[in-house]
Amino acid sequence: MNDQWIIFENVSKFYGEILGVNRVNLTIAPGITSLVGPNGSGKTTLMNLMTGLIQPTRGRMSVLGVSPSNPQELFRKVGYCGQFDSFPKGMTGYEFVKSFLAVHGLSPKEAEEKTWRAIERVDLVEAAHRKVAAYSKGMRQRIRLAQSIAHEPVVMILDEPLNGLDPMARAETIRLFRQLAQGGQLLIISSHILHEVDKMSDRVVLINNGYILAEGGVLGVREEKLEEHPMQIMIRCDRPQEFASRVFASDSVVEATLHQDKQGLFIKTRNADAFYQLLNRVVVENGINVDSVSPVDDDLNAVYHYLIGSNGGSS
Amino acid sequence: MAVYEHTYKPYEGKLTSAWSRFLVLPRYAYQDLFKYKLFTALFVLCYVCPLIYTILIYLRHNVSALAIFGANASDIARELPIGGTFFFIFTVIQTLLSFIFTVIVGPVLISRDLANNALPLYLCRPFSRFEYIIGKMSVLMILLSAITLVPGLLLFLFQSYLEGGGWMAENWWIASAIFTLSFLTLVMLALLAMAFSAWIKWRTAASAALFAVLIIPFPVGFSIQGLFNTTVGHLLSPIMAFISLAKLLFRLEWTDAILTSGEAWFVFAAYAAICLLMLSRKVRAYEVVS
Repeated sequence: MNDQWIIFENVSKFYGEILGVNRVNLTIAPGITSLVGPNGSGKTTLMNLMTGLIQPTRGRMSVLGVSPSNPQELFRKVGYCGQFDSFPKGMTGYEFVKSFLAVHGLSPKEAEEKTWRAIERVDLVEAAHRKVAAYSKGMRQRIRLAQSIAHEPVVMILDEPLNGLDPMARAETIRLFRQLAQGGQLLIISSHILHEVDKMSDRVVLINNGYILAEGGVLGVREEKLEEHPMQIMIRCDRPQEFASRVFASDSVVEATLHQDKQGLFIKTRNADAFYQLLNRVVVENGINVDSVSPVDDDLNAVYHYLIGSNGGSS
Repeated sequence: MAVYEHTYKPYEGKLTSAWSRFLVLPRYAYQDLFKYKLFTALFVLCYVCPLIYTILIYLRHNVSALAIFGANASDIARELPIGGTFFFIFTVIQTLLSFIFTVIVGPVLISRDLANNALPLYLCRPFSRFEYIIGKMSVLMILLSAITLVPGLLLFLFQSYLEGGGWMAENWWIASAIFTLSFLTLVMLALLAMAFSAWIKWRTAASAALFAVLIIPFPVGFSIQGLFNTTVGHLLSPIMAFISLAKLLFRLEWTDAILTSGEAWFVFAAYAAICLLMLSRKVRAYEVVS
C-alpha cells in the first residue's frame, strides 16, 4: 500500500533550536485530508516536508512510495500550491502556468493544451492573458491553483487554498477539490476556515505546537473526546422541563440545561446512540412534541476548540 | 465513508529530456529582456565592433578594395598585423560590453525570485537547486557568449578563410585564447552577478557591489605592491588575473604579466568557490522561518 499513501515515520524537523514538527507518525490515504491548527503549529512545515522543500531533522517519509528527496520522480506525482502570494515578476496568468509546465518537461503543444485545461478548471479563461500582478487576490489564488493541477498530479498539496476567495469562488473551488478526490486523487489541504474544512474533508489532522493531536474523521475524533467533553445536543420541544426530568435519570445523560427561551434544552451525553434511543422512547411515552434535534458540538469547530483550546481565529 | 471512482489517469505523454529543462529559464528571461527597445538597441550596438573588425579583415585581404582607398596592401599588412594583439583588443572591447550587460541583467536574476518568494515555485518541479542555478547562469552565459565568444571565433574563422595557406593551423592558439579567456570571463561575471543578486535585493546596490569587487582590488593590488614590494595584493584582483592570463594566452609581448598562469587560475577558482558558496547559502526553498 506504500505506493498509494503518504507515510511519515517518526519525522521531526527543527529550525535550529526551534521546533517545526516533532515525532510525526502519519499515514494519509486517498481523498481529502485537511491539516488544521493555529498559526505556527507546523502545517506548512509538514507540507514542505512532503514536497522535499525542507529535509527532516529525523525520521523518514514517502509520498506514494517516492522519497521527497527525489524531486525528479516526486513532482511527476505531486502538485504544490504554497500559501505565499508568489509569482515570477512580469508574467501573465497563461505564461505562469505554461512556463512551469515546460519545466515539467511537456512539449510546447502539450503544455499549451494543459495550460488552457487548468485555466478553464479555475475559471480564469478571460483573464489568462492579463499580467498576474494586475489580478485580484482571489484570481491570484486561482491561477496558483491552476499551476499546481496543470500537470495532472496524483497528489495535491494545497496550503491555504481558500484564502482570499469570495464565497462563490470558494464553493466552486471546494467542488473542484471534491471532483478531484472522487477521481482518486489525494488532496492535502491546510485551512483556517473550519466549517469549510468540515464540509469538504474526508479526514482531518489536528496539529498544534508541532505535535499531531488527532487524526481521522471529524466524528471519530469527536467520539474519542466524549469522556472529557460529553456531546451536546439541542432539542427544541413544547415541554422542555418535563423532557429534562424524564431523561435525566438515564446513565447516558450527563447534564440537562434549559434554553433561555424555555422552548428547548441542551443535553450533554457520553453515549449519543443510547441517548437517541432514550429520546424516542420518552417522546412516544409522554407525547412530547419535538420540533428539532441537533448536535451542537460534533463538528470540526468543536473538536478544534476542545483539542487546541481556542477557535484559532476561524471564521 | 467516501467512495472513490478512481477515474484519475496521470499524464503519460512524452517529456522533454531532463538535461535541457534548465533552458526554460533563459527562454522566458529573454522574452522579458528583449521587450525593451533600449536593451535590444544596446545588444545590437555590441555588434558594431565585430562589424568593424570584419571590415578590417576583409579590406586587408582585398587588394582591389584597398586600391579604392589608395592604400597599398603591404603597408596595410605592416600597419595592421592580424595576430594575438588584434584579437586580444577585440576580446577586451567585447568583454567590457559584456560587463555592461552583466550590470544590467545580473542583479535581478535571483533577487526577483527571492523578493517574490518564487523560489519554491521552481523547486516544486522536477527541478533541482543546481538546475535552477544553471538555468539562471545560462541567461547571462548565452547572452554574453553572443557578444564575446561567438563573434570572436567567427572572426577567427573569417580571417582563416581569407588568409588560407595553413594560417589556421599556425594560429590555432588564438582561437584557443579567445575561447578560454572569453569563457572564463563569462563564468566569472555570471557567478559574481548571481551571487550578489542572491544576497543583495536592491538592484543599484548589487550593481555597485559587482563593480566594486571587479574594480577596487585592481588599484589595491598596486598600492600593496608599492608599499610592501609584493605582488600578493594582485591575487585579490580578477582584472589582474584576466590581464595576466590574456598576456600568456594571446602571447602578448608589449605587456608584463604580474601574476603567473597558476596564480591567475587560482584567483578565478577562489572567486568561483566563494560565489558558489554564497549561492548555496541563499538559493533554498524555505518558505517558513519561525
